[in-house]
Amino acid sequence: MRTFIILAVFGGGMAHATVSQALRIADVAPDIPLIVVVLLALRRGPEFGCGAGFIAGILQDAASGGLLGVQGLTKAIIGFTIGAVGARLRVSQPLVQVPGLVLLTIAEGLARFTLLKLFRFPAPFGELMTYVVLPQALYNGFLGAALVLGLAWAESMRERTS
Amino acid sequence: MKIRAIVLLGTVAAVCLLLLTLQMRGHGDGASDVLAVVTTPVQSALARINRTTVGVWSTYREWKAVRAENARLREEAQRLRVEALRVTEITEENQRLRRLLALKLAMPMATLSGEIIAREWGGWVRSLTVNRGRGDHVARLTAVIGPDGLIGRVVDVRPGASIVQVLTDPASTVGAHIVRTRTQGIVEGEPRGTIRFKYMARDGSDIQVGDLVVTSGAGGLFPRGIPVGRVRTIDDRGSALFHYAQLAPAVDFARIDEVLLIVGEGVQDVAGLFPAASH
Repeated sequence: MRTFIILAVFGGGMAHATVSQALRIADVAPDIPLIVVVLLALRRGPEFGCGAGFIAGILQDAASGGLLGVQGLTKAIIGFTIGAVGARLRVSQPLVQVPGLVLLTIAEGLARFTLLKLFRFPAPFGELMTYVVLPQALYNGFLGAALVLGLAWAESMRERTS
Repeated sequence: MKIRAIVLLGTVAAVCLLLLTLQMRGHGDGASDVLAVVTTPVQSALARINRTTVGVWSTYREWKAVRAENARLREEAQRLRVEALRVTEITEENQRLRRLLALKLAMPMATLSGEIIAREWGGWVRSLTVNRGRGDHVARLTAVIGPDGLIGRVVDVRPGASIVQVLTDPASTVGAHIVRTRTQGIVEGEPRGTIRFKYMARDGSDIQVGDLVVTSGAGGLFPRGIPVGRVRTIDDRGSALFHYAQLAPAVDFARIDEVLLIVGEGVQDVAGLFPAASH
């Protein structure tokens, strides 16, 4: 399990620039590291979520050639927040998972935009939200829900066989 | 626990903001270089894995497409084979019917075309059932012919069908002669499904293998000149009064599907209407 988590955090961050391109639909790629961080934070709490978010984010920054620390910080915040409040949410329901991940992606996008704006990022907010953040948020929502359901199924199978 | 998490978040935020500030001031290359040492090899490996996976996947998809196409082509080939068989069958039937029609039109007496609907091929009786009967004014002993020659005669007429005694029936006898030598004789059916030509020894001394035997027209039952068969072997019985010649029938009785029934009167020579008889 520990190996899986390490692979997920480290691999997820770096795989984003390579593997997730294969999952591109109509020029929209999912933010796999964000989904991984959310899933880990829900299971392991805010501390782990924060750490995993930082590592996955900073690796994602390094892999994508952006400013180091932007996604490191935003994903750390997302990991921390979802780890702190996740216990109060009924996250096993797809009706919560899909909108939850959509909202989290939008929140991460807003946080990233704010951070980049502080460091004089020139992109316009409206276009960025319309063409990048919202489509990715929807994609993340469905992919994340599918991943959660897949994991739940795998766990039930493992319990049945053991 | 919560304080530790908050401290961790604070540290992370501080590190990130520091990194961002340093980068904005042009001092972030060191951190990027350190991270690149870790990320570049991993990214290269992941890209290779990704390429391989995508390659395997596209190969699999191509294989699936080829398999589906293969199945479709097999199905199409099967359908075309059946279609080709059907076309061949129709073409053959068409040729048979054309030959029969040509013969019907050329015959100097009235004829009626019929289709074989049953065959009796046991050793005791060899007969065909034709779909022409009493309603078509078919009479008993009507001669039945095909484009290649004589088939037999009607021995029983029923409401919708007639029974034709085939030449190979053991009870069948037809007056015939050898075209080349004019040797008169009788063609008889044999229980083993063959026919033989029975002739007087003194008249047929010159008979040769391959000679054509046609109906003689004697007795008025069959028109003169209808091919019956060709001499296959000669059974010379020495000083006996009658000799025999085994014949190869002019008609393949097992394969015939359509026939002509000669319903009109007359015993004219019709040898010219049959290709075998004119050679």
